Amino acid sequence: MSTLSEFIRARSQAQQTSERLPLLAMTHVIYGYPTVEASLAWMRRLLEQGIELLEVQFPFSDPVADGPTIVAACHRAVENQPQMGDCLQQLGQLQRDFPRSRILLMGYLNPFYRFGLTRLVQDAAAQGIAGLIIPDLPMERAGQFRRDCAGHGVEPIWLVTPATPAERLASIARQATGMLYCVSRSGVTGQKDGAQQALAEYLSTIRQHTDAPLAVGFGIRRREQVEALVGQADIAIVGSALLEAYNAGGQEAGLALLASLGMI
Amino acid sequence: MMSDNGYYGQYGGSYIPEILYTSQQQVQQAFDEARNDPAFIQALEQQWQQYSGRPTPLTFCANLTEHFGGAQIYLKREDLNHSGAHKMNNVIGQGLLVKRMGKKRVIAETGAGQHGIATALVAARLGLECTIYMGAKDVARQYPNVFWMRQLGATVIPVTTGSQTLRDALDEALRDWSGSYADSHYLIGTSCGCAPFPEMVSFFQSVIGREVRQQSLAQFGALPDRLYACVGGGSNACGLFLPFMDEAQVEKVGVEAGGKGMALGEHSIRLSHDLGQPGIAQGFASIFLQDDQGQLQETHSIAAGLDYVGVSPIIAHLAEQGQLRMTYASDQEVVDACTLLLKKEGIIPALESSHALAAAFREAGTLSPQQRIVINLSGRGDKDIFNVARAVQDAEFPQFLRSYLSEYPDNLQLASDAGQGRAV
Repeated sequence: MSTLSEFIRARSQAQQTSERLPLLAMTHVIYGYPTVEASLAWMRRLLEQGIELLEVQFPFSDPVADGPTIVAACHRAVENQPQMGDCLQQLGQLQRDFPRSRILLMGYLNPFYRFGLTRLVQDAAAQGIAGLIIPDLPMERAGQFRRDCAGHGVEPIWLVTPATPAERLASIARQATGMLYCVSRSGVTGQKDGAQQALAEYLSTIRQHTDAPLAVGFGIRRREQVEALVGQADIAIVGSALLEAYNAGGQEAGLALLASLGMI
Repeated sequence: MMSDNGYYGQYGGSYIPEILYTSQQQVQQAFDEARNDPAFIQALEQQWQQYSGRPTPLTFCANLTEHFGGAQIYLKREDLNHSGAHKMNNVIGQGLLVKRMGKKRVIAETGAGQHGIATALVAARLGLECTIYMGAKDVARQYPNVFWMRQLGATVIPVTTGSQTLRDALDEALRDWSGSYADSHYLIGTSCGCAPFPEMVSFFQSVIGREVRQQSLAQFGALPDRLYACVGGGSNACGLFLPFMDEAQVEKVGVEAGGKGMALGEHSIRLSHDLGQPGIAQGFASIFLQDDQGQLQETHSIAAGLDYVGVSPIIAHLAEQGQLRMTYASDQEVVDACTLLLKKEGIIPALESSHALAAAFREAGTLSPQQRIVINLSGRGDKDIFNVARAVQDAEFPQFLRSYLSEYPDNLQLASDAGQGRAV
């Protein structure tokens, strides 16, 4: 079992005795939005609240798998000329300051490719970053990346969706270690009223192929959605809804949303 | 050109979010089957001939040849396709593929609007729903095309994010496809995107080069010495060049948009002078204009259709292998070439195609009268009337516009709507 999955299991067990819903919370913050300093302050605040998993998106000019809220924020963040090296160092500092949480770096392939994928894995490991999520890097093209991750103790985190063919889903799930990112429905991030039907069956199918913790994201914005995941998944991911709350009312509104979801 | 599992050297591939995997596989399978199905090819050729007007002529330009005193100049007249551009070749092909896949809706992105028009036309003809994404800046530059798309029944969505050009339209179309792939096909207009799109679009466009071969042999008994095509995404260039790849003696020249200058943001030069860098974005690996952090950069061209940040992986690979010579033409050279063709040959070229004209005109005089060059006139210039009128500083055009607008009883309201982006 990987270090990340061990962490998730241990925190999940501890969670059973708290007042929060018995799921780990994974929150999403865009590095550099609205400024680098403000995004770091928001990450720090979330970690102070005990968020177990902080997903940090390095912004890209063309985030094709994201919806309008995250796209707009990425474009704004790119205007601030975020630097990959600075980002990794600053996340490393956060990780050292909050050892009871784990930081995951997410981003589209091109900025990582320009930085160098091997260098990215090395630097991420040096900074204590637990995992890397690259939605447009197909597993079939990730041989060296996976070997680098295995060699440095960084988890590559893969996505599956309800549209993933059964054989492929089984293959990806079997290879998942730290966690598996389960997209709850079709489409890009941030869409409201996403179809939740058959979610239990979908997660149950995935479970047949892996012991890795399951994180469910895309479209989570109401408490009943999170409650519905209890017993089926290990982690609830809140992305666009948190960003919308932050945009509307800053950090306090974001925290209020997380409280309403039973996640802090 | 057959790819190696979607790759052309180090370029190409399929770098898409997992959500698009099934849809991409469906397209791949459908294309693989269709290209080997004689009934499909027959239907395609019938539509090309009866609907689009193929074969398009190879026109000898006696006046231009005399003007430059060098190579004999021929134009491949893709401007004479139905809709006025080569885009029709690909759209008919993919439209038939959509019917074959049993899907009912097409999504497309467009820069200059020619691909959008072609998609809307074919969607109407084949009874498909149609949604077109177009950068808001391109909507403003090419409103007549937007108008026709809407009249054809397409939904045109101006994209106001990012640079508000083709690249943003492409991102938005990909997002749409992510949520609608069950009944929708993303009808990519150029030889870019994830596999199999570069191969598929080039397959459909290669009718251009095949015809040039046949027509050259019939009209002057030899293959051309040199071919010129503009390169935005690269579909017309792939279409012209690929049937000649086994002929090293036929030089292929790709012409990028030099825009206003060499500073980042003022041009769309990716391959000439190594201004672009290898990258992986929008579903494929190629050469992109980007900064040192891997952020794609803004581009410029007087021709909306060339204003693209990436380039076909096929073109990138062939240029890297030295099988294509890449050059560029500035906005001013393009306008000059456009007006020269107008005056010498009575043909109105698109500003995109005028890039190929500009490069060819620069070089024609250096060649011998025994040599023959073919320039791909990828589209006609009717759509560019506003931009060309401004570029040549036609004094009467603004007056015409004012006069025309004054005939609208509610012209002030129209002007206000347009200013707020509500015109489409």
